[in-house]
Amino acid sequence: MGDDGVLDLFSAAARGAGSDPLDSDDGIAAEDGGVEGAGVGDVRVDAQSPPPLTPEPETDVLSVSELNRTVRALIEGAFSTLWVGGEIGNWKRAGSGHCYFTLKDDSAEVRCVMWRGEASRLPMDPEDGMEVRIFGQPTLYEARGSYQLVVRKLEAAGEEGLWRLAFEKLRTRLLEEGLLAPERKRPLPRFPRTVGVVTSTTGAALRDILTVLRRRAPWTRVLVMGARVQGEGAAHEIAEAVRAMGSRGDVDVLIVGRGGGSMEDLWAFNEEPVARAVAECPVPVVSAVGHEVDVTISDLVADLRAPTPSAAAEAVVPDVEPLRRQLGEVQLRLRRALQAAVERRHRRIADAPRRLAQALQARTRPLAHRVELARHGLERGVRLVLADRVRRTQVTDRLERAVDAQLRRLRSEMGTLAGRLEALSPLATLKRGYAIPVDGRGRVLRRRADFGTVERFELRVSDGRIGCKVEDIMDEDGR
Amino acid sequence: MTDAREMDLGLEERLRRLETILAALESDELELEKSLELFEEGIGHIRAAEKTLSEATLRVEEVLSDGQTRSLDGEDGEP
Repeated sequence: MGDDGVLDLFSAAARGAGSDPLDSDDGIAAEDGGVEGAGVGDVRVDAQSPPPLTPEPETDVLSVSELNRTVRALIEGAFSTLWVGGEIGNWKRAGSGHCYFTLKDDSAEVRCVMWRGEASRLPMDPEDGMEVRIFGQPTLYEARGSYQLVVRKLEAAGEEGLWRLAFEKLRTRLLEEGLLAPERKRPLPRFPRTVGVVTSTTGAALRDILTVLRRRAPWTRVLVMGARVQGEGAAHEIAEAVRAMGSRGDVDVLIVGRGGGSMEDLWAFNEEPVARAVAECPVPVVSAVGHEVDVTISDLVADLRAPTPSAAAEAVVPDVEPLRRQLGEVQLRLRRALQAAVERRHRRIADAPRRLAQALQARTRPLAHRVELARHGLERGVRLVLADRVRRTQVTDRLERAVDAQLRRLRSEMGTLAGRLEALSPLATLKRGYAIPVDGRGRVLRRRADFGTVERFELRVSDGRIGCKVEDIMDEDGR
Repeated sequence: MTDAREMDLGLEERLRRLETILAALESDELELEKSLELFEEGIGHIRAAEKTLSEATLRVEEVLSDGQTRSLDGEDGEP
């Protein structure tokens, strides 16, 4: 619209408006005509020579394209942008990025299109059946001759409904993955040498951060990596910058953030790429997005959430004044400790003679003890040997006495035995008249057979021996 | 003995080292020579740290896409 052809055709449509199109399109068309006449019509009519009052038939034959272009101009001229509420149906995001759907209520529906630019700012695709409000412009799709709404904004029911929904969806997913767990939060370094900042290089956030760092810790090195913080592609730029800063190796702590803005402005910090990059960053990350009240996914994933960029800067560096005081105290303690060490040394020197004596004594004491022990031992040894000798002498005496006694006992016993032997001796029997025959070898001859082998034998009698000869051997009966 | 001021340490490392030195010095166990040595190292760290603290200019650098940095000092606006 807006080119010369449209202007011509518009005039033509305006001419015909009195008859065909407006009549068929009752309410809206009537209003349309009014609005249009007051708004666009004036200008265009001014730009045009006065329309002929009686149309020439051959000039009134329009091509379809001309007709549709005219109707489109009429519709677009009739409405400025407006809000329409309804239910989403047949949502489709085409490969081009444009989104197509219908908006309907109980009895009617209208085709809607959301061009890529606007659609890409949606935090998520709405689901079919979702109640939404649409801000857009009614128009005509000339190629099809179909009437549709070109959608500039789409909101789920309630303030920021779709954003809230997308936020909750991502938050739930990250929560399930454990990326929001408190135990994942790393402590910040107490005295970072280098602070990284990922934000817009032209934003107020960077200025605020630098102001605080300059005041509190001017010795710090600040590395800034610029990223667009809103609009299409912002999330990827932020994520890339976070990754680049994290992998440098010279950054001790990283601030990611931006200043305040609408929910939509802050949205990049609610997108998954940023959340992942922050979660994976090898150095601790402080997230500072918007104002105190704004909480983003980035804030939840980061090691620390700062309410504002200034607060983030305060959080990452220590204040110089307390540090100076601390250094002063340390110096004082060092001096005292050294002084104490010197005094200890002095005391030790003053004590030296006494300690030397003590040490000597300590050294010699065991020796003296050993000598004493040895002396004791020796004495006891000698005494033992002597005692032994004494005891041994006594033993000899006792032995001799014992032997004597034994001998005496043996003698007396032998006397007794002799008496008893006397009693058993055959001599007494011999004295009573018996004689014992023995052979030449002294064997006693007791039986007849004993005499058979000898010719001669002796008879022992009580006072000597008598030689005998065997004459005759007989039994009891004399035979 | 190494001069503590010549060590390339951050504030954090220096403060931590100072804590260690203090703990050793205050433990009453050291020979005087060792105490002196630690004392001198400690004073060196304090001097170096104070020097760091009094560095008045914040160094601001922009990281370029190739990883190089470019100084932003002087153009990062007034507080």
